[in-house]
Amino acid sequence: MSEQPDALQVAEQARDAEQALQAERAGLAATRGRRQWPLPKQADPSAPLLVVQDLRTHFKLESGWVRAVDGVSFRLNDGEALGIAGESGCGKTTTALSLVRLLPSNARIRKGSSIELFGIDLVPKTEDQLRRYRWREISIVFQGAMSALNPVRRVGEQIAEPIEFRLGEPKERARRRAAELLELVGIPRKRAEAYPHELSGGMRQRVLIAMALACDPAIVIGDEPTTALDVMVQAQILRLLEQLRQELGLSLILITHDLSVIAETCDRTLVMYAGRVVEEGPVRKIFSAPRHPYTSKLLGAFPSIQADRRSLDTIPGLPPDLRDPPSGCRFHPRCPAAMAVCKEIVPPEVLFPDGVRVACHLHPPGRDGGRLVSAADVASRRASA
Amino acid sequence: MGGRYLGRKLAQALVTILAIILLNFLLFRMMPGSPERVLLRNQYLTQQKIEQVRAEWGLDKPLIPDQLVSYVRSTAQGDLGYSFFFRGTPVTEVLGQRFWPTILLIGLGEMISIVVGLAVGSYAGWRRGGFADRIGSGVSLVLYSMPYFVIGMPLILIFASGLGLFPTSGMLTVGATYPSLIDRLVDFGRHLVLPLATVSLGLIGGYSIIMRSSIIETRSEDYITTARAKGLTDGRVLRHHAFPNAMLPMVTIIAINLGYVVAGAITAEVVFNWPGLGTLTVDALSSRDYPVLQGVFLLLSVTVVLANLAADLVYGLLDPRIRS
Amino acid sequence: MTASVPATPPSAVASGLRAERWRLRARGLRAFVRRFGSRPDGVLGLVILLIFAVQALAPQLFVGPFQTVTTATGSALEPPSAAHLLGTDELGRDLLNMTVHGARISMSIGFMATLITIFVGALIGVVSGFVGGRVDSILMRLTDFFLVLPTFVLAIILAPVILDIIGVDAELFGMRATLLVIVVVIGVTSWATTARIIRSQTLSIRERMFVDRARVIGSGPGHIMRRHIFPNVVNLIVAQSVITFATAVFTETSLSFIGLGDPFAPSWGQILDSAQGSGAPGLGAWWYFAPPAICVVLVVLAFTLVGNALDDILNPKTAIRR
Repeated sequence: MSEQPDALQVAEQARDAEQALQAERAGLAATRGRRQWPLPKQADPSAPLLVVQDLRTHFKLESGWVRAVDGVSFRLNDGEALGIAGESGCGKTTTALSLVRLLPSNARIRKGSSIELFGIDLVPKTEDQLRRYRWREISIVFQGAMSALNPVRRVGEQIAEPIEFRLGEPKERARRRAAELLELVGIPRKRAEAYPHELSGGMRQRVLIAMALACDPAIVIGDEPTTALDVMVQAQILRLLEQLRQELGLSLILITHDLSVIAETCDRTLVMYAGRVVEEGPVRKIFSAPRHPYTSKLLGAFPSIQADRRSLDTIPGLPPDLRDPPSGCRFHPRCPAAMAVCKEIVPPEVLFPDGVRVACHLHPPGRDGGRLVSAADVASRRASA
Repeated sequence: MGGRYLGRKLAQALVTILAIILLNFLLFRMMPGSPERVLLRNQYLTQQKIEQVRAEWGLDKPLIPDQLVSYVRSTAQGDLGYSFFFRGTPVTEVLGQRFWPTILLIGLGEMISIVVGLAVGSYAGWRRGGFADRIGSGVSLVLYSMPYFVIGMPLILIFASGLGLFPTSGMLTVGATYPSLIDRLVDFGRHLVLPLATVSLGLIGGYSIIMRSSIIETRSEDYITTARAKGLTDGRVLRHHAFPNAMLPMVTIIAINLGYVVAGAITAEVVFNWPGLGTLTVDALSSRDYPVLQGVFLLLSVTVVLANLAADLVYGLLDPRIRS
Repeated sequence: MTASVPATPPSAVASGLRAERWRLRARGLRAFVRRFGSRPDGVLGLVILLIFAVQALAPQLFVGPFQTVTTATGSALEPPSAAHLLGTDELGRDLLNMTVHGARISMSIGFMATLITIFVGALIGVVSGFVGGRVDSILMRLTDFFLVLPTFVLAIILAPVILDIIGVDAELFGMRATLLVIVVVIGVTSWATTARIIRSQTLSIRERMFVDRARVIGSGPGHIMRRHIFPNVVNLIVAQSVITFATAVFTETSLSFIGLGDPFAPSWGQILDSAQGSGAPGLGAWWYFAPPAICVVLVVLAFTLVGNALDDILNPKTAIRR
């Protein structure tokens, strides 16, 4: 059923990939050289920053297993910003928290999943071994509504804490570094003495960002970092993130349901639905020409400043119950373009030459140069353009 | 600390103390041992004599405000009347001798049980459902269900009359002479061990149960996830993040609980014949010594209110959200 | 569609509704029984309580009539033997006999004191939460006052006053005046916690009713309290009653122990008082105080276990927290 892609196209693809590889090697050296702390002992210096393959995180309830994340693969390169988008409950936060296993006690990461950081698989690590990677390699900017900061401790102490206890710096140095970090995010040094309730919402969010930078981590995850803020402050925080990313060369995973945030800050985006990746690729490509019907619905459901308000789209129906997800494509009960096959067969992930990966029967492998994604694709540097 | 918070708490304590005095005044008039009744019970008194005495004691004046005002005034001056049983000794003097043994027993008992109870409770809650939690919660629940004297009686049986390690009753050995202060203190300490153990065990159960549920509630807070994300050790997350927050509600609960501790201490004192306010209460009850009973109530109530005030201030110091 | 809808007589609709409501209630009850059954601690408590309830209802079936000084069957302070399984007290009375009969006295005092406590607490709580404003702030000030006060000492002082009011010869359901005093004293000094809990529940129901205004519009306050507030707090009242029962038995035991009990109708606390008075712990006569003490602990523990299980299932706040 699939037609052969013509030879010219294949050659072109190979050349693009080769160029990308070389550019990346150069970049890799630059950013890894920026690290203040040595890589973990088992690290492979030439391995990609983060490769997640077939991640399946399930929650055990009395009534059965909830397959919150069910076969997610992606990769993150040095200095790159990846946005993970989707409705609430689609598994985007669980995906991110699975990386450092900050999961509730009823959660299990299933066998066969792998999370490779510098080529080190984090899945088989014990809780104690994994602690070494928390914050020093992967830190998180939580949603700062109020509750992510300890209400009875000064913000300065809370920023200094990981510097003192994870990096082993003396208390005085840790305090000084905390004050510097506060200045970096635009808060006067002396506010280090403040308690969380004495700061505004925007300031608290900045504190959380400063805290995430404390150990100079390889990856920063932003978990809805702007959701609780009003629009003006949101814009300031986004600008700050963008500026820090450029100055410090951060590698960023940004989780949000707000696609406009991804449009402004990210290089690539990954759209999730019901625990699976539906579409992934460069932000420009996906926002200008979404291929998966869910992505177009999601984009349509968001008001943009230019758009006519009346055209605001809604997605009929509700996200599925993940204890017993729909057969075939999980989106088919709500999909306007659903076909008979969608109910029967799980659509495979197909990679297109422009770097977009889609899981939809409307875009079968073979058409437009798309081909089935293999595990090697995600891991190898060619997969992401 | 915020001046308004301080002012409000002070005003509340003052109002409560005034209410206690008013309650005491009203009870005194209703008591079987009230001055009116004592007078009327004597059938040989002539009406004229009764009137004369009533005028002398101010009982012919209206209850409110005149009698109340004079009651408040004398109470404020430390005049709580005279004991029936101790042949006219001023109540203040009777109370004065018995106050410190009780305060010592309750104070030390509270300190021990707060330390042990909070430690046991927070560890059990942190490891909810684990082995330590099952044992800790089970023992706490049983201790919580035991009246203090039920704890004290087997302690006497085992450690005093059985093993002979400690004396069974009193605060000092009767008739003993002490060559030095140290000997006196040692004797006192030996007498103190069992009553103190009783009061502490009686309190530990309740504190550990409440602390456990407080920790469980705190454990699901977002800042605990933040602390875990920082890669801090489990122990550090518990001690530096969960515990300081879970402890805040405990301050209020421990303060409110003081009223019940007094009740428990009274029964514990009876078991060990400890010469404090508890044994005094029971003796006064059996000899119907109402002025002393009222004095005890007034003294204990005011002490509890003041302790509550102190707890509010401590809470204010511990919680920065109130401090500023 | 042209098919005519069959005309249903209104009474049939009403009876259908009633049947539906019963079905719903039966289903709720089944769900409740299942959830309670899945709590081993609650079930254990319930079993202990049933054993003591049977003892309390018919003590003479197990150990014969209550022994007095004149009908005592043993000699003073006999240790346990075949004739006296739990030994005897200083008057030669059989302790098994006294302990089983004590169940009746302790449990009935606990029961009546709980009734008063819950009645006062629920009334103050519902009125305070529902009426709000000045009434609320005055009632809550009073509640806080009673929460802080060492109520045990107050109870001791109140006892003679209440005895004076009800009279020494008063009797209710065959209960002597001294015991009634204990009931009343516990009732008037321990309602404050219940009032606090019921008030906060009432407040949250009232908040919900603002949202749900249409349903309530045009009903008088009495109707609202009966139809909307009470059904929503009744669960909580049940759970709170069980917990209060534990406290009431606890307090009764303590009050009897310090001499407010009735030697002619000894509760467990009274037996413990006699044991203390005769110096049993110092004499090594463990059989004198162990049986009543274990009974008190078991009953208080059982009520606490059942109460906590009920509270987890019935109290909306704790239910959500799980």
